[in-house]
Amino acid sequence: MYGLDAISANNGWQLAALGISIVFAGLIVLSFSISQIHRVLEFFDKSSGFSQRIKKAGREKNISEPDVADSPLPAGIKESAFQFKLLIKHIGEPFSLPELIDFSKKCGLLHSHLRINDLLQTNLIIPDGKGYFLWNYEVEKTLRLFDERGE
Amino acid sequence: MPVDINIIKSLNFFKDFSHADLEEIAPLIDQIRTTEGERITCRGCHADTFFIIFSGNFMISFKHDRSYTLHDRGDIMGLSTLIMPFAYTGTAVALTEGAVLSMPGEKLLRIIQSNSELGEKIMKKINEIVEKRMPFVTGRC
Amino acid sequence: MVNLLIEFLSNTGFALAGYQNIIMLLVGIVLIYLGISKRYEPLLLVPIGFGILMGNIPVIRDFGLGIYENGSFLNYMYFGVMHDVYPPLIFLGVGALTDFSAMLARPSLMLLGAAAQVGIFITFLGALAIGFLPNEAASIGIIGGADGPTAIFLTAVLAPRLIGPIAIAAYSYMALVPVIQPPIMKLLTSRKERLIRMEEPREVSKREKLIFPVVGFLLCCFIAPGALPLLGMLFFGNLLKESVVAERLAKAARTSIIDTVTILLGIAVGASTQGDIFLTSKSIGIFVLGASAFAVATAAGVIFAKIMNLFVRNKINPLIGAAGVSAVPNSARVVQIVGQKEDPTNFLLMHAMAPNISGVIGSAIAAAILWSFLGG
Repeated sequence: MYGLDAISANNGWQLAALGISIVFAGLIVLSFSISQIHRVLEFFDKSSGFSQRIKKAGREKNISEPDVADSPLPAGIKESAFQFKLLIKHIGEPFSLPELIDFSKKCGLLHSHLRINDLLQTNLIIPDGKGYFLWNYEVEKTLRLFDERGE
Repeated sequence: MPVDINIIKSLNFFKDFSHADLEEIAPLIDQIRTTEGERITCRGCHADTFFIIFSGNFMISFKHDRSYTLHDRGDIMGLSTLIMPFAYTGTAVALTEGAVLSMPGEKLLRIIQSNSELGEKIMKKINEIVEKRMPFVTGRC
Repeated sequence: MVNLLIEFLSNTGFALAGYQNIIMLLVGIVLIYLGISKRYEPLLLVPIGFGILMGNIPVIRDFGLGIYENGSFLNYMYFGVMHDVYPPLIFLGVGALTDFSAMLARPSLMLLGAAAQVGIFITFLGALAIGFLPNEAASIGIIGGADGPTAIFLTAVLAPRLIGPIAIAAYSYMALVPVIQPPIMKLLTSRKERLIRMEEPREVSKREKLIFPVVGFLLCCFIAPGALPLLGMLFFGNLLKESVVAERLAKAARTSIIDTVTILLGIAVGASTQGDIFLTSKSIGIFVLGASAFAVATAAGVIFAKIMNLFVRNKINPLIGAAGVSAVPNSARVVQIVGQKEDPTNFLLMHAMAPNISGVIGSAIAAAILWSFLGG
């Protein structure tokens, strides 16, 4: 026997309808009971004069940032600035940092990552807010890294 | 190398977490030293570990070579461990020597399953970071 | 000497192997590959796959090696399956692992778990329609509960010969939840609905989390006493977890106990999957119906969430209805992924855990109901 006849012969419709109804009824009863638990607890808390709330002692520790005093320029910054400025002029602005790193490696510069980090920390390289970077001529002037001839 | 709970508490990401929360998270965290130029994550690779900067400086690059740099202790890398597409969306590289705290994504997801409150806190923090970084990932800066 | 050698050779697997053994060994290898290489439910498919290899090595009868021979090693392992020992122990671990806060914070979401169990009963009807006996149909229907231990629990009672294909179908489809569910979820929801941000759940107190396992257990087992082994252990595990005082026991339950039982269950179920049952048209029917069970359950959960939205003030993102399919936590993660495709900052995972967990309870109750109707 197949099809709807098989279902009817085995009381399938009744079993399925009753089964899903009982599952629903069971979970409705459970969800209703759960929804009342916190109300019952509140009621008992109030009526028995049960204690105070547990105060959350949230002391916010202010993790004080170390004073960033005027730190001296990283060693070799002048040389790094000179070399990377040339590279940046070659690849154009705004430039991508990964491209600058790759290019500097191809040109044989050692410790590219470290030196670029120094330039970032001294704000000689600054982000443009769109995922690319620019050379900061203002900071270059302030730091007086190069003489008038740019060396 | 396991990490002391007080060190974790000092990180900005975990500053709102209770001691009990941190006790649950701490055993999952390992400290890993990184060297200059070392690749931490690889764009497109399966994202299975979540990283928090402990020291050092890092660069994360995305599609079309967009990138940004992270210099502060507590900054996060590897967010895709917990959000779609579960593949790293950026390549993270160490610019200097440093250290990161790593946590396996699967274990973090287990915590989220077994502790809803803690899971909610973690997901909220991640949400804040994702909102800031989304422009770099999608390219719509 | 030569006779001894001939006798030895005639008792080797090479001499005794038939085509069914070979095919089943290949099936076992495929499952191991899926588990390890593709990471499809590896914790179950690897033991089941290897169990198939162990159970289908051709051995001479009455030598005390086969799974159905009393006193054999595999037969002792199979005891836990046949007498419903392993599934409740797995539920103990699940209870000790899971935080029910998401469900306690918004109990109405439990109804989504109930709705998803419609898949069980519709599949039951479908199985009857294509000629399965009622006991077999119920065992196939329970695949729609997306709960491996529950499927094994019920099948061991109602249709023990089908344990192998049903368990493999159930765990395979649980692993395929990320493939099966998203198209159905997208088909049944509009973009506007998928973007719904749900209200933050309220904070659930420790006392509520302690009271719930006791109340939940008593209510569920009074309604469906057949669920006593499964839900008893689920709620007991949860009580161990929440009580804190028994943290050692809770830790054992969610780590060493669940892992040990998973190994034993997987091996035993795999070894019991023999070619004469698996390589039949019945297995094809089981796999087809199993897939439809998951699909119907997903659809039912999503549609019910849309219906609930007509009556509730704080709208529900209907995607979380799919998490009523109790593949914990896979289906909740699928909801998270689908929701994030629309809005990367919309975190639905925590909300989806509520129907996900209630789906576990709902499928256990459904199994108990089917057992009471058809058992004995």
